[in-house]
Amino acid sequence: MILCGLLAGPIIGGLVSGLDRILTARMQSRIGPPVLQPFYDVVKLLLKEPQVVNVWQAFCAYCYVAAASIALVLFFLQSDLLLIFFVQAVGAVFLVVGALTSTSPYSQIGAHRELLQILSYEPLLVLVVVGFYLETGSFKLADIFAWPHPLLLKLPFLFIVLGYALTIKLRKSPFDLSTCHHAHQELVKGLLTDYSGPFLALTEIGHWFEVALLLGICTLFWATSWIGMAVLLAVTYFLEVLVDNVTSRMNWRWMLSYVWGVGLTLSLVNLIWLQQG
Amino acid sequence: MQGIKRFLNQLRAKSPWLLHFDCGSCNGCDIEILACLTPVYDVERFGIIHVGNPAHADLLLTSGTVNHRNKKVLANLYSQMPSPKIVVAIGACGLSGGVFREAYNVVGGIDKVIPVDVYVPGCPPKPEAIIDGVVLGLGKLQAAREADEERKEV
Amino acid sequence: MDIRALLTAILVVAPFGGALLCAVLGANKTTRSAIVLATGAVLIASALILAPQVPFRLSAASFLGMDLHRVIQAADAALLLIILYFGFKHQHLTIIALAALQLVLTAYLEFFLIKGPLPVERIFCDHLSLLMVLIISIVGSIICFQAIPYMENHEHHYHVAKSRQPRFFFVMLLFLGGMNGLVLFDDLTFIYFFFEVTTLCSFLLIGHDRTTIATRNALRALWMNSVGGAAFVLGMILAYTATGTLGLQKFLVAPWLAGAGTYLLALALLCLAAFVKSAQFPFQSWLLGAMVAPTPVSALLHSSTMVKVGVYLALRLAPGFMGTLLSQSVAVFGAFSFLAGAALAVGQSNGKKVLAYSTISNLGLIFACTGLNTAASMTAAMLLLAFHAVVKAMLFLSVGAIEQHIESRDIEDMRGLYAVMPLTALITVAGVIMMIMPPFGVLLSKWMAMEAAAQNLYVIVMIALGSALTVIYWARWAGTLMSDPFAGRFQPEHQPALTWLALGPLCIGAALLSVGAPWLYLRLIAPMMTGPYSAAYAFTAGGLENAYGTFAILPLSAVAALGAIVAAIALKRAFRAKIVSPYLSGIQTGEPSMFRGPMNQAVKAEAKNYYLDTIFGEARLTDWVNLGGGILLTLILGGAL
Repeated sequence: MILCGLLAGPIIGGLVSGLDRILTARMQSRIGPPVLQPFYDVVKLLLKEPQVVNVWQAFCAYCYVAAASIALVLFFLQSDLLLIFFVQAVGAVFLVVGALTSTSPYSQIGAHRELLQILSYEPLLVLVVVGFYLETGSFKLADIFAWPHPLLLKLPFLFIVLGYALTIKLRKSPFDLSTCHHAHQELVKGLLTDYSGPFLALTEIGHWFEVALLLGICTLFWATSWIGMAVLLAVTYFLEVLVDNVTSRMNWRWMLSYVWGVGLTLSLVNLIWLQQG
Repeated sequence: MQGIKRFLNQLRAKSPWLLHFDCGSCNGCDIEILACLTPVYDVERFGIIHVGNPAHADLLLTSGTVNHRNKKVLANLYSQMPSPKIVVAIGACGLSGGVFREAYNVVGGIDKVIPVDVYVPGCPPKPEAIIDGVVLGLGKLQAAREADEERKEV
Repeated sequence: MDIRALLTAILVVAPFGGALLCAVLGANKTTRSAIVLATGAVLIASALILAPQVPFRLSAASFLGMDLHRVIQAADAALLLIILYFGFKHQHLTIIALAALQLVLTAYLEFFLIKGPLPVERIFCDHLSLLMVLIISIVGSIICFQAIPYMENHEHHYHVAKSRQPRFFFVMLLFLGGMNGLVLFDDLTFIYFFFEVTTLCSFLLIGHDRTTIATRNALRALWMNSVGGAAFVLGMILAYTATGTLGLQKFLVAPWLAGAGTYLLALALLCLAAFVKSAQFPFQSWLLGAMVAPTPVSALLHSSTMVKVGVYLALRLAPGFMGTLLSQSVAVFGAFSFLAGAALAVGQSNGKKVLAYSTISNLGLIFACTGLNTAASMTAAMLLLAFHAVVKAMLFLSVGAIEQHIESRDIEDMRGLYAVMPLTALITVAGVIMMIMPPFGVLLSKWMAMEAAAQNLYVIVMIALGSALTVIYWARWAGTLMSDPFAGRFQPEHQPALTWLALGPLCIGAALLSVGAPWLYLRLIAPMMTGPYSAAYAFTAGGLENAYGTFAILPLSAVAALGAIVAAIALKRAFRAKIVSPYLSGIQTGEPSMFRGPMNQAVKAEAKNYYLDTIFGEARLTDWVNLGGGILLTLILGGAL
């Protein structure tokens, strides 16, 4: 199981990332790279000459991957969902601290924007987990997976809230303030500006683990059938890419107020339903 | 072992990340370079991504003629790129200074500042020529790396 | 003589003795240091030896031949008169009024209300008391050890002509004795006396530097804590009228738990005293003002021990208000404090104030757990109490060392501290990591608290928001400390031996304690889960688990350690990597962070942290959170009627 988790992360994350790029390209009337492109990118980066701005970036990059992979492995081991959330948060913090160790303004401002992004999505993720608890009576994944009804029916608004958290975590417009993926640039590369070579590869692999984890949490909403899971994932991811291509990047004030405003309202409504029902 | 190394080198060539630096061009070449990114030519098919930080780049694409003011910047950017790296000089200005060769502030060709691997002549060169030049450069990247490895083994 | 009685006596009285010795013989630095070290050692030893003896109940009838109750009465009156004296000395009307009020009320209680002698079986030490004793004795002593070199430096820096260190250590040791007394006695009058001792010590220590601002803040601390004291006495009066006893344990398990009006109001007033002592909103300004004191004071009083009195009281009283509106409102109030404290910390750039707001925030979380009043939440509360005390003390001590070196408390001035004070910077970063990350204890307790609060929507939403805010101010600080273009080797750092003696054990101790959390739970907390609380967690497969949640402490710690080792190896290899300038658009010069600007001049690239002053600034939020706190307090007190 542990090995499964460790392998699944990069494979799923990388393939999803590749599909993402192809889908984006097709939406833009382009052809796009081959689906294995992210793997080529990571291998190339790993083979580059290592260079750092601050030696602690190496430490932080490794800690980020470690935390993200541990979170995914815990997911495969069907551990406690709230614990998984906190372990994943460790990685996010190390990424920020690593960026802050560089004195370049791009890195610094990117790191602060990342902190604001974390501020935006963390409470919402916690409330989604609380929603699972209120419905199934447990934080443990084994119990949630075993729930006989599709949870989407009882937690529809929380799914939308998860969608917001997913959009921020996947670094999609309009929330891709701290760093961008594909060919976009924001603050050069924002948070990741001063990570390069093998360490940038590690941040990418860490990101893949996180993507796999978040998609895993999405599957919890229709855990009763494999087809349901697949359809849900496909639809959700397609919508994410669509939103990415259709919206433009906004600023952090808008992000914080909008995500908290809409997110907290929807969560509260859904949570109250669950408590009363 | 050899097979793996060759395979990895091939992968490297499949993911060339590009830094574009305008050394003071009239922007004609820049327009053609940017055209390569558009859906008509779509260089992302080759895995090319346009990055902003030289530390993330494998390829340096220069346009325009380098002058005495920005030659330090060009040298800086080149030194910040981690190896292996290649430089592709686009347009006549990059080769020799182009029509501005005689001006007092023009150094006269990128290769007077940094080593250049591929020259793409034209004023401006067509996007197809630019892509051709980049692909040639990628081949050089692969070959140079393999030559390096062979030298290490010998 | 019974070993337990002996140890209790040592724990309470030895620090008083040490304090007197300091005052009398303390002029000489070596003697003073020896006295402090000896007292500390005695305390630590006694606490550790006491540990296996717990739980126990003892009688304490007399002290040096006099009736103990009378002794405490007299001492109490003397204490209140001292406070009154200070009120007159500084012409502070509020202090005078509150001290007089407390004198009158205590007199009323003692002479008119209490009929017949109070029971002598008044020493009560269960596992919660033991936990507090361990924190006070071990962490408190370590802080006093670090205070020795700190105060030397402090007085040297401020060019103090005649050393006031004897007085300083007198009050510090007195305080330790007072704290031990507070947690080892069961009788509310005794607890009140020691409560006032801590108020006075806090006043004396905040005003230690005798500057205008120190005196002003000390007076503010005094009057606010006196409000707490007055509430305490009122609570005692109502408690006695409702139940006829002042012994805490009897008070809480008697049949009047069904909630006669004055009983709940008594508990509410005692909770109010607790809130004031723990600087919850709207009483937080005294704690913020107390940050002007020397840092060991902040570490000892205002983060690990004195402010824990409030949460200790609330934990003791919790079985009494289980299932009532009071309980729910305390939970909401605590959660509100957690959120508000975190929000205010985001807007702060003064390092000590960030730590102060973080303390208020964590104490709010403990109060919230107390209010939730389930076995799981009480477990979380006690774990958080323990872990927060250790980690926060360590953070304050390292900030103290930093502050003395760079002569500033501002986080912006600590930018790139790693280049100047690498070991201290790393210890501070380690402290930050232990505050916000699994598998460490503070996060473990926060996880437990969240799981326990998940049914209570008001509470969980505020905790979720507050938890996200805490990440910001801690991550920001950790990054700023390490923010230095590092192109050199690790420079050895020089600090006095006692500083390392203090920081080292605290750091390693906190880490080991986190790994040992299951045993901490089994030995100290699970035995407390009796009566209305059932067992909260089981220790299975290396972690704590219950019906709905599981936290694999040991496996996670092992994996985290492995990850840290791998990362450390990568760090070592990175020393041999090419070290380049940060990206500055290609115009960087050879110097770190410098780029070629206008007129070819070298300009330093600077970026400062986001403090989001317009949203989270103290000026912006304080009035609103005070209003919120006030409304919730009214709810608490009114709901108890």
